Amino acid sequence: MSDSSRPDLDRYPELKRGWDRRQFIRSAAIGTAFTAVGGTLMRIAAEDLTRQARAEKRADGRERLPPGQRVLESLRAMGGEEGDGEVKNFRLVVHGLCKTPFEVDYAGLLRLPTVQKQADVHCVTGWSMLGGLWKGVQLSTLAEMAGMKSEARYVILEAAHGFTANVPLKEAMADHAMVTYRLNGKPFALQHGAPVRGLVPDLYFWKSAKWLTGVRFVKDDKPGYWEVRGYHNHADPWREERYG
Amino acid sequence: MAELAEATEEQPAGAPRSLGQTIRKRWRAWLRAVHRDIGYLAIGFTVIYALSGIAMNHIDDWDPNFTATERTVQIAPIPDDVSDDEAVQRVTQPLGLGKPDEVFRAGDEVRLTYTNGTQVTAIADTVTVQARSSRWFFRAAVWLHATRGKAAWKYISDAYAVLLIYLAISGIFMIRGKLGLRWRGTIFILVGLGAPLGYLVASGGPEAHKPDDKFARPAAPTGIRFLPPDEDATPTPTEHPSSRSLPAAELPARGTLPVR
Repeated sequence: MSDSSRPDLDRYPELKRGWDRRQFIRSAAIGTAFTAVGGTLMRIAAEDLTRQARAEKRADGRERLPPGQRVLESLRAMGGEEGDGEVKNFRLVVHGLCKTPFEVDYAGLLRLPTVQKQADVHCVTGWSMLGGLWKGVQLSTLAEMAGMKSEARYVILEAAHGFTANVPLKEAMADHAMVTYRLNGKPFALQHGAPVRGLVPDLYFWKSAKWLTGVRFVKDDKPGYWEVRGYHNHADPWREERYG
Repeated sequence: MAELAEATEEQPAGAPRSLGQTIRKRWRAWLRAVHRDIGYLAIGFTVIYALSGIAMNHIDDWDPNFTATERTVQIAPIPDDVSDDEAVQRVTQPLGLGKPDEVFRAGDEVRLTYTNGTQVTAIADTVTVQARSSRWFFRAAVWLHATRGKAAWKYISDAYAVLLIYLAISGIFMIRGKLGLRWRGTIFILVGLGAPLGYLVASGGPEAHKPDDKFARPAAPTGIRFLPPDEDATPTPTEHPSSRSLPAAELPARGTLPVR
């Protein structure tokens, strides 16, 4: 609008107020539109990764990306009551239904038979991180060392401040399930569970307990921290078992 | 202007009014006065709950508690047989870091800890420096918002919720006429109610988002027995009576382990 079309606002204070408000609303609308466009462009860029992943299949025939997930390039810190993260204080107790329960410190854990596996992880809040290279000790190795008894049906991952996550034996003994201390060649930052966390990639990521302190073999299922707070007891991402 | 006059004018001289008459005449002014004061009281709570609510809504996009940084530097691998002091020097020198507060060596790792929380870990030829700083406002606000484990705050936030309900309801009746319930107020109330109701209708609501029964917890006949939550019964590493330390002799020697 040209200046000649603008009314003489100084002569009409009431009109000036309305005009100023109009200007304000216009500016706010333009600002909002810019923000929305920027956010949309960022989303579209991120969606490329998600689209690519949707086109891929896993070795077991399932889609690589479970329904309702979007791909992120790195893990997100999702909170939780942190452990102290100190390797010198780390102790992992392997116990429960087993013949020879044991405790191992960090140096001892690094000396156990180690695996490095590529695995995707899927957070219940909707993000996934694909293709991480995880290093650690398989839960099946710990079960073997502890002499897990045949009646064990579940593995309870125990973590700092009494957090627990229950995992059926099938998923816990899978090839990629482990207690892990490195991702992509780097140690975990404290917010991601340092020094050692669980990894059960076939279930939603809360089952991969951070700040791990124990692995317990049990006969009867015992829903853990999130499972008794409304989250699904099993947590299969491909079935979208998010809430119980 | 009528309502403004009602709110500010003094009682005219004349015959004393009964309590009922006074309430009928002045209730809207009192409503506004209480609304105003509760509004002042609620400012701090509202800012904390609103900002932390936004922060938690987007927790999968950012960490409201900390700003974390990580960088890696390549160095020559540190042989196992060098002393701790030598290993520390080889890690810290390229990074320009000072003496660490703690040094921990295990396997192929050299870990250095600094009092400010910075962790430096050398694995083979890669040094990773992990540091973070607290976002003090959001960390505190999220802590308050989440309420977990803070019994007293639970009741304080309950009181705030009651105040909010007062603000919402008193707001409806604060102004008379076309700007109030007769026109503008009603329209905005309907728009405000329409947003959650419309979303519920469009999304199908909670029932539409319940998992299929066949994927829910298996029932008893499948042989699975769910126990009640009993977190206190979870043995901690120090309490567990049947645990024992794994003797070094039972562990494979360093460097002999296959990496599958």
